Amino acid sequence: MQVNLLYRPSQSLAQCWLQNGESVVAESGAMVGMSTNVQMQTQSGGFMKGLKRLFGGESFFRNTFTAQGGQGEVLFATPLCGDMAVLEAGHKQWCIQNSAYVASSPSVDVKTKTGGFKGMFSGAGLFLLETQGMGQVVIGTFGALEQVQVDGSMVIDTGHLAAWESTLTYKVGKSGSGWIASFLSGEGLVCHFEGQGTVYLQSRNAAEYGSTIGALLPAREQ
Amino acid sequence: MRHEIRHNPDFGLVQVYFDQPGEQIVTESGAMVARDTGIEMKTSLQGGIGGALKRKLLGGESLFQNTFTATAPGQSMWFAPAPEGAIVCITMQPGMELFLQSGAYLASTPGVTLDTKWQGAKGFFSGGLFLIRAYGQGYLWFNCYGGAHVLDIGQQYHGYICDNTHMVAFTQGLQYNISKVGGLKSLFLGGEGLVCNFQGQGRLWLQTRNPSSLASFLHPFRPVKAKSSG
Amino acid sequence: MQHIVKYEPTFSMLQVSLAPGETIIAEAGSMVARSSSLTMEVKLNAGKNAGFFGKMKAFFIAIIRKIVGGETFFVNHFSSPQGGWVWLAPSLSGGIRPIQLAGNSMIFSAGAFLASAGDIDLKMRWGGLRALLAKEGAFFIEASGNGQIFVTSYGAIDEIDCNGSYIVDNGHIVGFDSSLNFKIRSGGGGLLGFMASGEGIVCEFQGQGKILIQSRNTSALVDWLTPMLPP
Repeated sequence: MQVNLLYRPSQSLAQCWLQNGESVVAESGAMVGMSTNVQMQTQSGGFMKGLKRLFGGESFFRNTFTAQGGQGEVLFATPLCGDMAVLEAGHKQWCIQNSAYVASSPSVDVKTKTGGFKGMFSGAGLFLLETQGMGQVVIGTFGALEQVQVDGSMVIDTGHLAAWESTLTYKVGKSGSGWIASFLSGEGLVCHFEGQGTVYLQSRNAAEYGSTIGALLPAREQ
Repeated sequence: MRHEIRHNPDFGLVQVYFDQPGEQIVTESGAMVARDTGIEMKTSLQGGIGGALKRKLLGGESLFQNTFTATAPGQSMWFAPAPEGAIVCITMQPGMELFLQSGAYLASTPGVTLDTKWQGAKGFFSGGLFLIRAYGQGYLWFNCYGGAHVLDIGQQYHGYICDNTHMVAFTQGLQYNISKVGGLKSLFLGGEGLVCNFQGQGRLWLQTRNPSSLASFLHPFRPVKAKSSG
Repeated sequence: MQHIVKYEPTFSMLQVSLAPGETIIAEAGSMVARSSSLTMEVKLNAGKNAGFFGKMKAFFIAIIRKIVGGETFFVNHFSSPQGGWVWLAPSLSGGIRPIQLAGNSMIFSAGAFLASAGDIDLKMRWGGLRALLAKEGAFFIEASGNGQIFVTSYGAIDEIDCNGSYIVDNGHIVGFDSSLNFKIRSGGGGLLGFMASGEGIVCEFQGQGKILIQSRNTSALVDWLTPMLPP
């Protein structure tokens, strides 16, 4: 599958070109448009898998788009403005923050990671996904994506993490010295990475944007 | 009058320089960012009360428009829409028609007329989407939530299917119909909702983001109404 | 200290490298990533020479604003004896502009402060009752001294050279030279204009100086989005 990323880094659109018979799996709601010979099929991938995704924060359903009778094109976007990137799974595998998943080749297995990430995203309803298999994964985030090479160690605010190579080890901790300092500093949790590998950072934190704008909106019923 | 769109596709902003006194621009209410103090601003109901009401009820545009008139050469002003995204400027010629999604209209010069197009049976149902028809001569600016993706139907593509909420504008010459993609199950479960299928010869503009996703994202962050005690 | 700003104008991120002993002061919550060598200290931003009462006043204002929402005026001091790097970003989509102050002063809207370095004094100023009507907030920040200040915006930042008189919608102001006189008033167009123009509160600038504007404003976003929100 050929993926062409347009309008980076803020209004990114992923233009996926499919060969006849080729498919792409995507987060439900991500489709913007497609050529008329592409068929869409909704699937949960089995009830248990769907449930696992639901608890992982992804929607229960993913859609599979297949080009028929010739080459086809599908356009995908994220709910918020932001950047996109294509990750190659195969020699490297990735841990992806769940709201960053947009689409992937059917040959990559993207599932909720169980355990090992306790308390990473302070109650923001975010979980981790991990990849297995070979193919491409399209990620999209609120903010611009910066690719960073960790060589030794680095401290990254958890709200700004989009994806990282699964070879990296990490430890989650408070940013400030002490709980009051953390509260006042507004920094929340940080991740201490160690080892060698690539990290994709996003230059904005969606939850912070949500609270800033959300506070200005009229109150809701419940 | 000279005009320039800055910061596309992220935060489109239009900068206009008036050459002669008397030159005018009509904008959506609330669109002005900054202007020379000497420029006159008048708020009006375009097309009279009837026309404005019709546009408000059906077209979704605010009832009022602001007309800015230059009083001296060299005056400048800046205007921008509310959502983040690109601005597109179209040079309207007699005989051209442009159909705009309600809410996308930003500004125009006085020679361009706006009219609501009543959908009838072919109407868009979700998200309060209606169409405005623009014709006349002059400039028309419309904005997108997100980047503006242009598709030339008839040349690049035989036809195209797009998600309802991502459709911004199209020229005459295109026919469309609304359907649910993937069957009933997909409508409710697949998250894709309604789609428009375009055929014919013409140009289609899509926006790379949709406002209902932003509204859903922000919903949990809103303050909660205090429960009334019984 | 060296700095670069990437991903302008929308998702700008400020990347700063600090020499040993150098400090950068940043708005609470703005850190994206840093080298493991840096330490972070939370402090109240009360102005350089604030005495006890000055500090108390600033403390209460900061607490109120944290509860009400908005800039907190708690800041983080990042430094390290070995030096290091830190990346900062604001919460909204928009640009970052580095401004060099050399004894002059500029006034910024309260939400515009991201970081500062050097000998900069920040003072909160009250915009007056009329400014309170503007949803964007009644507080301004006056920055003076010698050093660098990094300001952010909602939208892209553009510069207008005021030469006489210019009107700017209140929600689109990022900052301006303090040499300019300004008057806050309604958008104009008479009574019908005030109620219906949607232009709200504007700021009329007189004099010579620079005005920084942002190409979006949060109240317009709220007005645009509100009809689409579920109840």
